[in-house]
Amino acid sequence: MRKFAVSIFAALVLAGCWMVPSLAQQQQDGSALTPPPAYMAPPKGTPPVEDTPAQREALAKLKAKAEERTEAERKAHNELVTPAYNFRYGPKNPYTPGNIQVQGEGFIQPGAFPTAEYCGTCHQEAYSQWRQALHSNAFRTPFYRTSVNLLIRDKTRGISFARHCDSCHNPIGVLGGALTEDSKLDRAKFDSDGLTCMTCHSVTKVNSTNGNAGVEMGVPAVMVDENGNRIPGMVSFEQILRHPERHSKAVMHDFLHTPEFCAACHKANLPDTLNDYKFIRAFTAYDEWQQSKFSQRNPLTFYTADFTTCQGCHMKRNPVSLPEYGAKNGTFASHRWLAGNTAVPFYYGFDQQLQKTIDFLRSGNYLNVDIFALKKASDDKLIAPLGRVSYNLAPSDVVEAYVVVQNKNIGHSLIPEVRDLYEAWTEFTVKDSSGKEIYHSGFLKPDGMLDPRAHSFTNRPVTDEGEFVDNHKVWTIHSVAYDNTVQAGRSVLVRYQFRLPADISGAVTVTAKVNYRHLRQSYLNNIFGKDDHPAYPIVEIASRTRVLQIGENQPEAVDPADNPDWMRWNNLGIALLDQFQYAESVAAFTEVIKLRHDYVDGYTNVGLTEIVWEKYGSARTAIRKALTLDPNNARALYYDGLLQRRAGNTAQEISDFNKVVEQFPQSRDARRELGITYYQQKNEHAALEQFEALQAIDPDDLTAHYNLSILYRRMGRAKEAAEQQAMFVDKKVDPGAPTYSLNYLRIHPEISTESIPWHMHSDLLSDEGGTEHGK
Amino acid sequence: MANEKPLHAGFLRFVGSLAFGLCLIGMPAKAHAANNCPWLNEATASGFLGGDATGAFTAADGQPSVCTFTNRDAGATRVLQITVEIAAEPHALLTTAARACGADIAPIGAIGNEAMMCSLTERKGELGERVVGRVRNQVFTIVFSSTLKDDPILTRDALRVRGYTAAEQVAGNLF
Repeated sequence: MRKFAVSIFAALVLAGCWMVPSLAQQQQDGSALTPPPAYMAPPKGTPPVEDTPAQREALAKLKAKAEERTEAERKAHNELVTPAYNFRYGPKNPYTPGNIQVQGEGFIQPGAFPTAEYCGTCHQEAYSQWRQALHSNAFRTPFYRTSVNLLIRDKTRGISFARHCDSCHNPIGVLGGALTEDSKLDRAKFDSDGLTCMTCHSVTKVNSTNGNAGVEMGVPAVMVDENGNRIPGMVSFEQILRHPERHSKAVMHDFLHTPEFCAACHKANLPDTLNDYKFIRAFTAYDEWQQSKFSQRNPLTFYTADFTTCQGCHMKRNPVSLPEYGAKNGTFASHRWLAGNTAVPFYYGFDQQLQKTIDFLRSGNYLNVDIFALKKASDDKLIAPLGRVSYNLAPSDVVEAYVVVQNKNIGHSLIPEVRDLYEAWTEFTVKDSSGKEIYHSGFLKPDGMLDPRAHSFTNRPVTDEGEFVDNHKVWTIHSVAYDNTVQAGRSVLVRYQFRLPADISGAVTVTAKVNYRHLRQSYLNNIFGKDDHPAYPIVEIASRTRVLQIGENQPEAVDPADNPDWMRWNNLGIALLDQFQYAESVAAFTEVIKLRHDYVDGYTNVGLTEIVWEKYGSARTAIRKALTLDPNNARALYYDGLLQRRAGNTAQEISDFNKVVEQFPQSRDARRELGITYYQQKNEHAALEQFEALQAIDPDDLTAHYNLSILYRRMGRAKEAAEQQAMFVDKKVDPGAPTYSLNYLRIHPEISTESIPWHMHSDLLSDEGGTEHGK
Repeated sequence: MANEKPLHAGFLRFVGSLAFGLCLIGMPAKAHAANNCPWLNEATASGFLGGDATGAFTAADGQPSVCTFTNRDAGATRVLQITVEIAAEPHALLTTAARACGADIAPIGAIGNEAMMCSLTERKGELGERVVGRVRNQVFTIVFSSTLKDDPILTRDALRVRGYTAAEQVAGNLF
């Protein structure tokens, strides 16, 4: 009996020791990496090494063993995780509200992903950059954790809802089944690495451009065999270096170079499975790029540029300084993904990443700031373009300054993502000759908060109670009280009003800057506590200063950094168009034509403004002139199509839109209008073709959903019709939502003018005691 | 013989109880019961302690909340204890907590609002690591200890790395 008990005891002790989890190493840079194995890249054009039959057999055995081991580990992992997992959205949707998927059955064990340190052995440059980049820190930062923890702690939601966020911020955790109340996973093995190498490099398919991690993850593999079959898990460096082409085939899919791949996570929506309300678009840098001049997919942009992808700006090739076997000609695509996040490198002390981020933001001629015009209260005449015309200023003059901020070379909006957290704003100062401030807008208060009356390129999402969602509780968002972004290629006019002192003389210095910080002070206060954190970096992205003289001012020499005069007028016209000031916009575009008689877009700009202004007669004249200059101009043809529809010239309308689609097959606007034309002509199959093409370009287009639901139903495709109808209803803006915005704006008069496109920033008081807005 | 049956039954009950107890102590992560420690799960604690650990969480109003994870190996007992206290003067409380470290305390970056780490002085042949830090007004202390002076799993270097990683986990959940 005693022997029996001892046996049981021994067996249980042994059982207690049978799993000894290891710990993910915390490495802040590449210094802890193993030195790379010796390797000399073969000369370019060298054919791959031929394996002997014995080597092929050995590799086949290795593959069979790797598959067997991976499968066994996955089975064991699922036996551990599945019983306790919260399948809130049903067993078929384990990762909802995220869109991520994984190949094979069930959850995938975190250990299936080769570590960053393994990859970093041969890719030390990539590793050291990645370690400081946003992708590796996508999960662990306080800025993210604070936000996702609110969702996890929410009384009616919980950790399963966080799959929506973590699908992009911590995909290994999501796919491993860690996001459940009683998690069985060792989080230290993956939390600190966020998007590790083998998350992006294991994706085998981009499922859609719907975002929210719309990809399919393959079982991670760093090698394929001679037939292209993936070998799961890690293999020896010797194997990889013998067949780098097979390594490349496993980890370097062509789609990694495309904007559609970035769209997987740089496009997000808030689905009803998260907010229990309805679909709300959160952000979509991808669509903004697609609509920009850099995609060359949109004929309607105001300017043109060379084709540039996301990677073209954010993964530029740089000379390598560390061992990097992926380098070509001594250069390697940056794995820093430089963009706008200064907070993460600041918090972690990644000085190199921080400096490079600041340099990036200041480089590239991304923004143009133009102090374009002055207008005196005593005179309706616009003094413009400033620096090119003569004018007089006198003491006591009340002056209005027109500052035009052009989103010149960003491939997306300013600010592209979560503009409730990131803050860009215009700072405008007027100083006398002694440096004394006459007017200042966009200052920081002593507590670090931005002047509430500043012009900021932010938004204000609000709850159904009309309260500002200050802490990024995105699932509570029901409306947006204002959204002051500047889309790619467009401009905004910011108006400032000030009074010159009665005793002023000499020079008056006027400066306009666009500043940027990551993050808003009140969000930093939410994270760290008020007065409990250092000031985070503020980056001046662009600025312009002009010196005005009291008395007479003469034209100045042109600053080579300034836009040419025609472009300055053009940007004003664009800004005025976006502010619904159509007469002034047409006047500005007309000035462009005066300076460039042969500029086709000048006439088109006049025409398109008059179309939205419903002045179809003069619009026709302008568009006709544009087409006389360039009969195949897609932009002019598009607007001509709209005018031909108005005139009832259907054949010409169809011809115009078809010509646009031929030149720009991914033009969502041309596809939409052509679909409508065919629909109106009862050419249902042709209409269907256009709306399906439109939906392939933009899966959220409401016109496509609406018309496809009708067309499918007429064609007897009831199931597809119902799906389209449901998506239309879900994605259509809630007509009651503006009420929530109005509640917010009513109780925040200091900021409410930001919701009015045409507003003035002024500290002058009217006779009634209010500011002299809108004069 | 008449007395043998109850004795036998009692022995079996003892074995059953022993087995159950050992299961709780030494059971692999696969079969851990739900642990409600809000800052760290048992699987992660097991990783830190180098073997399966069982956790206990106590929370009381006005008192620090404590999670204790214990790993019992053949010749060693390794403990990871996390204490969290909400303080009106969190920085002052952190300073007090840091005093337990003595002179070898070193600040560690990018953990919470602020954090420090030190090696525990050897007491009764024990070895350990302490991290004190805070997230806003929540002051946390993490203590790793082992009954082995030369623990092959919780070596000095391993303790430093695990202390940092544990602090990142705890602070991350406190944000």
